[in-house]
Amino acid sequence: MATSPDQSIAMSLDAMGQKAREIRATCVQLAFDGKQGHLNGAMSSVELLIALYYSFLRCYPGQIAHPGRDRFVFSKGHACKSLYAVLADRGLIPRESLATYATNDSHLPSHPCKHALPLLDASSGSLGHGLGLVTGMAYALRLDQNPARCVAFLSDGECNEGSTWEAAMFAAAHKLDSVLAVVDYNGVQSVGRTDDLTGGASFEAKFRAFGWATRSINGHDFEQILSALAAVPFEKGHPTAIIAHTKAGAGVSFMEDQVLWHYRVPSREQVEQAFAELGARPIYTRGPT
Amino acid sequence: MRRAFSQALFELATHEGRLAFITADLGFQVFDDFEKRFPSRYVNVGVAEAQGIYVAAGMAAEGWLPITYSIASFATGRPLEQIRFCVSYPALPVTLVGAGRGYTYSTSGVSHHAVDDIALMSALPNMRVVIPGDPGEIAQLLPQVVASRGPSYFTVGRFGEPRFDAEEQAILDKARLLRGGKTPVAIFTTGEMANEVLAAHRLLTAQGIEPRIYQLHTVKPLDTATLEWVATEVAAMVIVEEHLPNGGLWSAIASWHAAANSTVKMKRLGPPDRYALGTVEHGELRRRLGYDAQSIADTCRTLCQTCT
Repeated sequence: MATSPDQSIAMSLDAMGQKAREIRATCVQLAFDGKQGHLNGAMSSVELLIALYYSFLRCYPGQIAHPGRDRFVFSKGHACKSLYAVLADRGLIPRESLATYATNDSHLPSHPCKHALPLLDASSGSLGHGLGLVTGMAYALRLDQNPARCVAFLSDGECNEGSTWEAAMFAAAHKLDSVLAVVDYNGVQSVGRTDDLTGGASFEAKFRAFGWATRSINGHDFEQILSALAAVPFEKGHPTAIIAHTKAGAGVSFMEDQVLWHYRVPSREQVEQAFAELGARPIYTRGPT
Repeated sequence: MRRAFSQALFELATHEGRLAFITADLGFQVFDDFEKRFPSRYVNVGVAEAQGIYVAAGMAAEGWLPITYSIASFATGRPLEQIRFCVSYPALPVTLVGAGRGYTYSTSGVSHHAVDDIALMSALPNMRVVIPGDPGEIAQLLPQVVASRGPSYFTVGRFGEPRFDAEEQAILDKARLLRGGKTPVAIFTTGEMANEVLAAHRLLTAQGIEPRIYQLHTVKPLDTATLEWVATEVAAMVIVEEHLPNGGLWSAIASWHAAANSTVKMKRLGPPDRYALGTVEHGELRRRLGYDAQSIADTCRTLCQTCT
């Protein structure tokens, strides 16, 4: 058993930028191959996931149940194309498995399932559960004197769910500073814009009012993301929320900030156009069809 | 039963070091001993039943054995989605305790009535549904439920219910024979209704009628082996439940009956499919809805006349 985690991989900002383009191209290819929508929320999360998996989360490749791993719940399960692409790029799942995305009996269904992919710390797809689950894990890990951190990756839309705020209350009450919430604030929900539905109240102010330490960043700027992650926990004794301002469909002009791309599956022409704009190709090759 | 529960919980926690108790701000003074002895394993999440399930699920994922606690109506329907997605789907070892199910809190109003809880919990794959009838069954079954290492719903009545004796020990997943008898009628019940049925039994034996009585403390999985055997021994089965007609014990036994092509006569006694409005004391409510001891006895007597 590895004694030290495979936590951080040295990479230049340029290399990270290139990786982000490849992951985006992979998301587009996955949407096309799997005939699945939910692309815009995948595209908005790319830099955040790369930064988390390459420079923050303690991972033990090949030892999925290692007690020292940081716990990670990708709560916005519908957007899992980016998660699968980053897991494959990071070597935590085989790259060739991406070609099975959303097909019969795949390890990579259209919403992540722990029964299909045991390395997940929880299944997702039903919104508003991720933050609560990691608070329970964090409470247990503290009893076990295990310093592993517990990260929930949330969409801004799923913060509509009241359960997110029950969890926020609990984490603050129990001073769970091993808990990190990353909010992918892309501004777009399923049928509308987040701020219109929430009254536009600031996420940072809301989490702070619940007793959290917070910081708002540009969720597409690796420098800002890495510097925020390096400062976690922001305050001892307080859970941390990073409010990452992002753009739905980021990186592809015709998808950016469009509610429509919560649903749409790209055509072959749109896939090629996306690759051209990104200047990148997917990290996997589609199998014979 | 609540005292029996807090004692059983305390005893279990003394030798099961990974057991934790999570309350949604209920159980005033009932769990003081537990909290004092195991402070880090006692969590009050506040009036936040959904969060209670998350804490339990998250702890269970880390190898703990959490027991959540709330009033039955708030323990089941309120956080149903959390139970479904975070406990039963991942098949985690969480015991969900609902206190005061049925019409235990009849005079508190519909908000506190839990007569759909068995239906809600039985509908979930992986979920075991255990409805003990007296303090003895609480003490016997709680350790078995926790040892089963799966998602379970477990109910606790209120204070001061009588203990009953039985022909057999309470064994998880097995129908428990409370009273044997020669009359070709069998009564099946679950939970604290067993006391009402035993009262009916006293009325009947005084008249020379001796139905056998089975307590199905485990409603899911249903002990169909015992049902099949009893069906060959009797002419009629009476199912007494304090639950709505859909999805409770009657529903489970009726499903077995249909699938088994059994020809045994079946009769249900229990509340109808409507809200119990108004303020009516528990015993009176049972009388009005036709499943108190007298009604049960009358039904059995009539069945005996037609069956024999």
